[in-house]
Amino acid sequence: MSLPLRDDPKRELWYAWYAAVFFYTLYSVIFFLVTHVQPPGQPWYTPTQVTHWFAHYHNGLLIGFALIFALGGLSATSIALITYSIRRMSVSRAFAYSYLILYAVSAVPGFLFICVAMTAGTFRPDRDPQLQQWLYDFGFLSFSGTMGVFLIGSLIWMTAILLDKNRVFPKWFGYLNLCNALTEVVVAPSWIFYRGVFAWNGLIAWWIDVFVFGIYTGVFLMLLRNMILREDFGSGPLPELPLLARQAPATLELAS
Amino acid sequence: METGFNKRLFIVWIILSGITVLYLVIDHSAEKHGVRTASEVASVSAIVLALIKVRIIMREFMEVREAPRLLCLLTDGLIVVMAIVLLGAYLIGRALA
Amino acid sequence: MTTIETAPPTPPVTETKRVPGQPDMWVFVIFESLIFTAYFAVYLYYRARHEAAFLAAQSHLELWLGVLATIALLTSSWSIARCVQTARAGRYKTAVRDAYLTAGFGVVFMGLKIADWVHQIHLGNTFTSSQFFQYYFFLTAIHFVHLLIGFVVLGVLLYQLSGAERRSQEIVETCATYWHTVDFLWVLIFALLYVVR
Repeated sequence: MSLPLRDDPKRELWYAWYAAVFFYTLYSVIFFLVTHVQPPGQPWYTPTQVTHWFAHYHNGLLIGFALIFALGGLSATSIALITYSIRRMSVSRAFAYSYLILYAVSAVPGFLFICVAMTAGTFRPDRDPQLQQWLYDFGFLSFSGTMGVFLIGSLIWMTAILLDKNRVFPKWFGYLNLCNALTEVVVAPSWIFYRGVFAWNGLIAWWIDVFVFGIYTGVFLMLLRNMILREDFGSGPLPELPLLARQAPATLELAS
Repeated sequence: METGFNKRLFIVWIILSGITVLYLVIDHSAEKHGVRTASEVASVSAIVLALIKVRIIMREFMEVREAPRLLCLLTDGLIVVMAIVLLGAYLIGRALA
Repeated sequence: MTTIETAPPTPPVTETKRVPGQPDMWVFVIFESLIFTAYFAVYLYYRARHEAAFLAAQSHLELWLGVLATIALLTSSWSIARCVQTARAGRYKTAVRDAYLTAGFGVVFMGLKIADWVHQIHLGNTFTSSQFFQYYFFLTAIHFVHLLIGFVVLGVLLYQLSGAERRSQEIVETCATYWHTVDFLWVLIFALLYVVR
């Protein structure tokens, strides 16, 4: 059943998939545990409190974002695999290319800006607290506030899935994209509020939103894996998943 | 045969609209001399009535009545979860006020 | 050798038990309902902790507008339920009429909702003016977005019904399932915003 890796035509797809899984794990650990930018800091902090926040997480911020700057490019594998999946569908390639461009572009404000802003804030602890607060706001607002692009991307993927005749993804995942897109809409009020459930760290704008996004990400990683298992490199409907393959994950056997 | 279907749906609509109008009564009951008051009874009944309406919509309009058991269980389960979460949030919030 | 059938089979038009529409849409219904339940829980919890403030703000709402809107949406649900049945019986002209009625009542609801918003804004109640109105505008707006998507879904439904070669009872039922979800979510929102004390 499992070919030695050297001969497996799906080899590159598996590399991309494992890289994507590694990226999301790395991102979660670094953002949540190392740098502490998730859950986000309080929006109502005064400049002095912001300076303390940077000082408190000083080492974590620098080490964590150094790792992200080095390895963050791995995020491309996830976008690439999703684009690949859309190309495998029976719909026009315009969907795949639109998705690719949108997500590639949105990675800059939605992912890199916060890394740069927070690193800059940590870099000179004796900087004017007003400037520190500016960097803090810039970082968190760009991370949460640029949801519009991700929203459109989800809708593109959803439309492609619902129109697809090759059954690359189950229809329920198309609808899950809609759920995800709608929770992104809910983040928009974070530009207005410093406190409460709609602030950038609020119960509704952050906690519920991230919970849904976490489920969504776990689901699409699993479905991408299924797609790779089913891939026949044709252009017609993908064959269904053989029972055996569902039980054992693909193993990266090194050819002897 | 078809008139039978239509009649059932019509009756369901009457019941749902009737319950909606009932809210006017609940609202009125939670007033003291024309001033709104907080009322646990009114709130709990409002939520319970809403969930009853949701169940009717699911079973009659959405045809869960004729669906396989799994779907019946899932939708009823959803309503139970909603009841627990909504009533829980309200009552716990009140207790902590 | 044995493959698991993941594509839902076309349901036979008999008395046997079958899932209305695509089972996939039901995944959406349940998931979206749970997300809304989370939003409702947050609203109810904060409401119960600040009863007086919420009560005072809520008194600006016109209950009768809410009741009318609810009945309009319930009526639209009724007509789409009839549409599904007439389509199933093969009476497509009637089904199309019912679908247009659904859209019509949907538009009535939209009108009533917008009237309510305009009225509140004239009274000085906006998204940022008080906690209660934060929740009011948030819940009604996110529901409104679902309703707008519902019109797109109705479009798909009408497209299906109007061409003999396109008709799929499964898609008709799937679209109806979505519309009913928009309806029952409003039933909950109405009770929570307009009546809960």
